[in-house]
Amino acid sequence: MVELTEASLVRRARSGELEAMRQLYELHASRVYTVVRRLAADEELAADLAQDAWCNAFQKIQDFRGEAAFGTWVHRIAVNTALTRLRQRSRRRDLEQGFDGRSTLGNPDRQPASAAVERVTVQRALDMLPDGYRSVLWLHDVEGFTHEEIGARLGIAVGTSKSQLSKARARLRALVMESRAEVVDHGAS
Amino acid sequence: MVHLSSETLSELLDGSPAPGVEEHLASCSVCQGELEILRRLRTQLRELPALEPPPDLWSRIEERLPYGRRRRPLGRWGPVAQRVAALAAVFVVGLALGQALNRGGGEAVGPEASAPVAVTAVEDAAPPASMAEAMAEVRRLASEYDAALVNLQRMAQRQGAPEPTPLARQRLANLEALVEASRAALAADPADPVLNSYLFTAVAERDAMVRQLSSARGSGSGVVWR
Repeated sequence: MVELTEASLVRRARSGELEAMRQLYELHASRVYTVVRRLAADEELAADLAQDAWCNAFQKIQDFRGEAAFGTWVHRIAVNTALTRLRQRSRRRDLEQGFDGRSTLGNPDRQPASAAVERVTVQRALDMLPDGYRSVLWLHDVEGFTHEEIGARLGIAVGTSKSQLSKARARLRALVMESRAEVVDHGAS
Repeated sequence: MVHLSSETLSELLDGSPAPGVEEHLASCSVCQGELEILRRLRTQLRELPALEPPPDLWSRIEERLPYGRRRRPLGRWGPVAQRVAALAAVFVVGLALGQALNRGGGEAVGPEASAPVAVTAVEDAAPPASMAEAMAEVRRLASEYDAALVNLQRMAQRQGAPEPTPLARQRLANLEALVEASRAALAADPADPVLNSYLFTAVAERDAMVRQLSSARGSGSGVVWR
C-alpha cells in the first residue's frame, strides 16, 4: 500500500505537482536531514544541504526509474550533495588533520553514563571530528559503504579511506572518553 | 607488553586482522577492552536517533522549485474569491478588446461577427461555491475569449488587413504557446500570483499582436507585420 502510494506520488511529482512533492518530502524528510546533519556536523549547513538535496531530487525526478525505492534514491542524492559540499569545504581546510590514534589507548574504565548522556556524548564527539574523518566513519560504519565506494565518492585512495577510518575511530573514542571524564569530574566536585 | 595499534584494532573490528593479531588479543585484556570500546561506539553510532529538519525547510525548498509558491499576504478576500479575482484579471484585456469591436460593429461581415467576442463580466456572475466551480468558470471564459480573438483576426482579414509575414506568424505562434504554457502552469496552482502575472503578460502581448493586425486595416499599412 505504501509502495503504491509512493509510486503514485512519484508519478504526480514527475508531472510537476507540488503537493505530491510535498508529500514525498514529508515521507523522507527525516531520513534525508539526518544523514546530511550527521555528515555536516552543523545544523545550519545541514539545512542548506537538505534543501539542495531535495531540489536536486525534484529537478532530476524524471531520471528516477523506480529501480530502487524513492527513499533510497533521495538518500543517495543527499549523501552525494553533502559529500560534494564537504569536499569543497575541505579544500579550504586540511582534510587529513593529523591525529595519533595510539595516544588514546589505555584507561578505558570510566564510569558508564546513562544511555541518554552517552548518546549526546557520542553525537557531540562525532560533530567534533574533522570532516574527512567523520565522512569516512559515518559512511563506513553506519551507511555500510565499502572503502572502494568511499574512495570513489571522496576522491581518495582505498588505503587512505582505511587509514582515515582507523584514525576516526580512535579520535571518536578519545573524544568520548574525555567527555566522560568531564562528566565524572563534574559529578565528583 | 606492546599493545595493538589503532589501525590494527580497526582491522580487527572489521574482521580482517593481520596474521598473529588474534593470538595477541586472546592473551591481552587491555586490547580486548579497547576492541570492545570500539565495538560499542560503532553500535552507539548506528543507534543515534533520527533527526527532524527545521520546520521551515519545506517552504525554503518550495521557493526554489519551478512551480513553487512565492508567498504573498493573502489579503482580506476569501481564498476562492481571491483566486477567481486573480484569474479574472486575465480577461480584462479581452473584455476591453471585445467592447471595442462591438463599438466598431454594425458592419457585420459574416456569421462570426455576431458570435460572442466579449467575455462575461465576472462580477455579474454568482459567486462560485467551490474551487472546482470557479476553475470551470475560468475555463469557460478562456474558451470564449479565445473564440473572440479568432473572430477578431478573421474580421481584420476580411476588411483588408495584409497577410502577416512568416516572422510575424512565428511570433504570434510563440505567444500562443506562451499563453498555453502559462495556463497549464496556472491550472496546477491557480493562486500563484507570479503565474497569474506571466499569463496576464502573455495574453496582453498576444492581444497587442492581434490589435496590430486589425489596425493595419485602417492605415493600409503592413509595416507592423514586417
